[in-house]
Amino acid sequence: MLIGIDVGGTTTDAVLIHDGKVKSSAKVPTEPQNLLKSLLSALDAVSRDVSPEKLKRVVFSTTVITNLIAEGKTDPVALLLIPGPGMNPAGYDFPNRFVLKGAVDYRGREIRDLDEKEILETAARIREEGISRVAVVSKFCQRNPVQELRVRELVEEALPGSKVELGHRVSGKLNFPRRIATTMLSAATKEQYLAFLNEILKALSERNIKAPVYILKADGGTLPLEKSSSLPVETIFSGPAASTMGALALTSEGESSIVADIGGTTTDLALILSGKPLIASKGAKLPPYLTHVRAFAVRSLPVGGDSAVRVVENESRLRIDAGVGGETGIEAEIETGTETGAEEGQKKISVGPDRAGPAYCLGGPETTPTDALRVLGLSEIGDLALAEEAVARVGSGLGKTGKETAELILDMASGLVASAVRDMFLEWEQEPAYRIWEVLQEKKAMPKKVIGVGGGARGLIERVAEKLGAEALIPEHAEVGNAMGAALARPTLTLNLHVDTERKEYSVAEEGGIVRLHTTDIKNINNMRSGEAEALAAKLLRARAESFGISEYAGEAELTGSEVFNMVRNWSTVGRLFDVSMQIPAGLIPEWKRGGKA
Amino acid sequence: MKFGLGKIKGALKGGPGGAEDRTALEQEAAEQAGAEVKKGMKAEESRTGIKSGMENETSRDKPKRQARRFRLQEERGDGEGKEGDEGKEGEERNGGKTGLVFFPAFDWAISPTHPEREERLLYTRDQIFEEGLMDLPEIAEYKPRLAEYKDVARVHFCVPDVPAQATTPHLISAGSGLVLADALMAGEIKNAFSLARPPGHHSMRVAHGNRGFCNINNEAILVEYLRKKYGIRKIAIVDTDVHHGDGTQEIFYHDPDVLFISFHQDGRTLYPGSGFMDELGGPKALARTINIPLPPATPDEGIHHVLDELVLPILKDFRPELIMNSAGQDNHYTDPLANMRFSARGYAKLNEKLAPDIAVLEGGYAIESALPYVNTGIILAMAGLDYSHVLEPDFTPGMFVQASRDRQVLDEIISTQLENWANRDFLTEEALARYGDFYRHKKSIFYDTDMIQEAQEESVRMCPKCPGYMTIDSTGQHRHRSTKIFGVSVPIYACKECQQEAREEYRSKLHDIRYDYIYLQDKKADRYSSYNVKTGQETLL
Repeated sequence: MLIGIDVGGTTTDAVLIHDGKVKSSAKVPTEPQNLLKSLLSALDAVSRDVSPEKLKRVVFSTTVITNLIAEGKTDPVALLLIPGPGMNPAGYDFPNRFVLKGAVDYRGREIRDLDEKEILETAARIREEGISRVAVVSKFCQRNPVQELRVRELVEEALPGSKVELGHRVSGKLNFPRRIATTMLSAATKEQYLAFLNEILKALSERNIKAPVYILKADGGTLPLEKSSSLPVETIFSGPAASTMGALALTSEGESSIVADIGGTTTDLALILSGKPLIASKGAKLPPYLTHVRAFAVRSLPVGGDSAVRVVENESRLRIDAGVGGETGIEAEIETGTETGAEEGQKKISVGPDRAGPAYCLGGPETTPTDALRVLGLSEIGDLALAEEAVARVGSGLGKTGKETAELILDMASGLVASAVRDMFLEWEQEPAYRIWEVLQEKKAMPKKVIGVGGGARGLIERVAEKLGAEALIPEHAEVGNAMGAALARPTLTLNLHVDTERKEYSVAEEGGIVRLHTTDIKNINNMRSGEAEALAAKLLRARAESFGISEYAGEAELTGSEVFNMVRNWSTVGRLFDVSMQIPAGLIPEWKRGGKA
Repeated sequence: MKFGLGKIKGALKGGPGGAEDRTALEQEAAEQAGAEVKKGMKAEESRTGIKSGMENETSRDKPKRQARRFRLQEERGDGEGKEGDEGKEGEERNGGKTGLVFFPAFDWAISPTHPEREERLLYTRDQIFEEGLMDLPEIAEYKPRLAEYKDVARVHFCVPDVPAQATTPHLISAGSGLVLADALMAGEIKNAFSLARPPGHHSMRVAHGNRGFCNINNEAILVEYLRKKYGIRKIAIVDTDVHHGDGTQEIFYHDPDVLFISFHQDGRTLYPGSGFMDELGGPKALARTINIPLPPATPDEGIHHVLDELVLPILKDFRPELIMNSAGQDNHYTDPLANMRFSARGYAKLNEKLAPDIAVLEGGYAIESALPYVNTGIILAMAGLDYSHVLEPDFTPGMFVQASRDRQVLDEIISTQLENWANRDFLTEEALARYGDFYRHKKSIFYDTDMIQEAQEESVRMCPKCPGYMTIDSTGQHRHRSTKIFGVSVPIYACKECQQEAREEYRSKLHDIRYDYIYLQDKKADRYSSYNVKTGQETLL
């Protein structure tokens, strides 16, 4: 038996799966101040009647790190940066930031020495500030971490008991500002995350649950709980990842679809192309931070079943404001001018961005799309009389009947979602290309299926699909699709290998550190070929999978990129650079596939 | 050492590219003559104050699109009357971002060890990605697209046809500029940098093969595209590659609406061996080509001196609607193929002062020691960001000092070219008086990459109403094979009569069996025909 739990912004959903079937599910309200309690009550709701030894796997997604960061409750971190030449480091705007001398270049050569006296002085200032967590990040540390390592040595000596996080251990991808943010956030959340994990482990042992426990990452993969402690930021945005994985589980294999998780406060959008969830080409955004965290290309917009619907005075022309990123909040407007009442052109309605509480028909304070759905008979949730009252209140401002107003509200909400989908697809199509084949490659057409998951999907999703010229689909168990996604997701793993045969060394972006190339790996280093670099990557990936306790998935690894550059100096080849990327992509565990669920 | 009017006669005889077989002796003789004529001309000009008819026509034929506010540094922020309105329009656009296409063509090389190979922009990629430049709110990254065959045919006579010369990477490199041009004209961005390879500025009108690492001319394709699609007329191209931009120069040599300024290492010391001050443009476009041959080892100081005293004043005077930078990076002090001493910061500052609307990458082969820093510097400067921390590891400001003898050379170049520029209308008038209905000259062009020797004879109709249609008779000799073509070109702003005559000229050659291919490049109608004489097949783009 499998358990999946998704701690969302409004509700915490849980599901118990047995033999490819949903045995039970539960929804409890999320208490943002006590996520552990929400998580455990959802767990108890589905596992109450099951003996703990029958549980094979428990997976949960949580917003704990997202909340810590959003609420500014992270721990203070002293940031030691070694930027070297390039952008003015004054632009790296973080609190407690210290810029050190020193520099490493793109080939990993030290081009400027560290100033040890400066480092010790900085350490003294950190002590004065009373900060015990330190993050050290150098530009091109993934090509050579020597300066980061030396700074750590000096800082640990000068500040006994301090915890030092190093950039190259957090991410080996190019992009220094993102690495700074990711390393800083890692250092700033680690201890609180560990405390959270310990509470969970304690609660599980109280319930006698001995099944392996996993946490869902933003890229839709699971990570053993104990392994997640080193990379807490990987768990941000696991909510949208959960619903996307849920949609994947609830649709046919290899299908392309748009996933719309319409919740109470927000709608999360994702794309599944030929059976694979689309990964963002860069890391996740966690305003104001841009990170290196690998995540699905999700877009979140503040429109949901409980969004407040209001009548607003309009000055001039109205429009549906498309292309708004979820992080900024949306100024929701609709054209009421043309067919929907030109005579009342001065008034308009807005949907969102805030949620005032539950829907009016459920005893909330304001009119919501949920009330409109109730009025039109598209849902049975809540009290009809209250819903009619709520919608009429908006309608009176517009001079419209209840049904007209309800239609208008739904049209407006689904319009916002549809334009965000279009925008997201366009953005993906316009992603930069750096190789000829990438420019020539024909992008896929927009999927013709919209999968609705989440509580607010029913009634709205059909309208979204209609606006996109697509077919709407709300699979069975859609309302707990996110928890199903968590329950059924398999581990993911990436490996980016960089080999420099002139320097006779290689590095793995995910692991940090520079390793000497040995003739045991490659017979003739000077004459190394792509095939050998790929074989080395495969070997390293297997070892990495083993260290994460997921070796049974190593066979699923696929090559996602392999490039070789001849380094030519004075017209003769002096060495080769290889870049090989491999991944175990997001997917479903075999138990589900065996369950024969199409 | 002065190059003045006298050299112009030589220029008209030799034309662009004619400098290749120039001897030192000729050079000297021309120099002396130049000094004399220049003096004489000064006097004459002050007497008559002649204006050429052409300048009048330019102002009569004002393009539909409002001229863009001229955006040189010193003019920024000052606005009165009409200027002010244009300024406002400019402000709106300038509120935007710097558009960037980064297309390193990681899967294309001329040959595995050629300087123009996959690795060329690898370290640049590392640096600009590690800096996180693409995440900056000041920068918008665009995806490249393929230029269409028609975009290429608008500029080149490709032998035998466009696909033979413009392969996929070339089309993408040219298309990168077009993507940015569209974004710029749509007001999405304030300026743009096409960081794409392969380069193009050595490609001339006729493309028999690859020349100086170039097959098709990215800037020229961009200029003609901007004119056709957006009706822009006056464009200035400043070529900052260390090599003379001989291809771009040749393509616009007779075009009075395109000001081409190239500074480069003196052609007597570097490929392609041209770009002397006497190459001033065709008879109808004199001084619309300005060459600045710099002494080897010129540092930041010297290049900025020339920029401040010569390039910027001429640009200000020309008032182009758009400025392009043919942004080669091989003036850098570490470049393996040249001998200059320009730094990354020098390049950044140059782009800040020049404020190009579009910069297009050209050469630059110090792929490790220069390109990562120079490109970062240019991007930051164009985006209006601080580039003072962009520093090569071995560079200290002040490490290169301008030799005083070279400073004198630069001052002489500046005063000569300023004078040529000031006298452009008079020069044109005088040149026109010298020719009848047609201006003709012969030249030979060598394609170093593909080892092709081309012999050319061009003619330009000295039309009183328009820039005049042009014909080119060209034979490309590659080992024992030779291909002979005849091309007729109608400028976009040609008059009806020239267009008509050009069409007749094309038709009259179709059965001339001396030729392999006949071309009609009708930019006015935007129709491009090519005719295979052997098969009798005509293709229309």
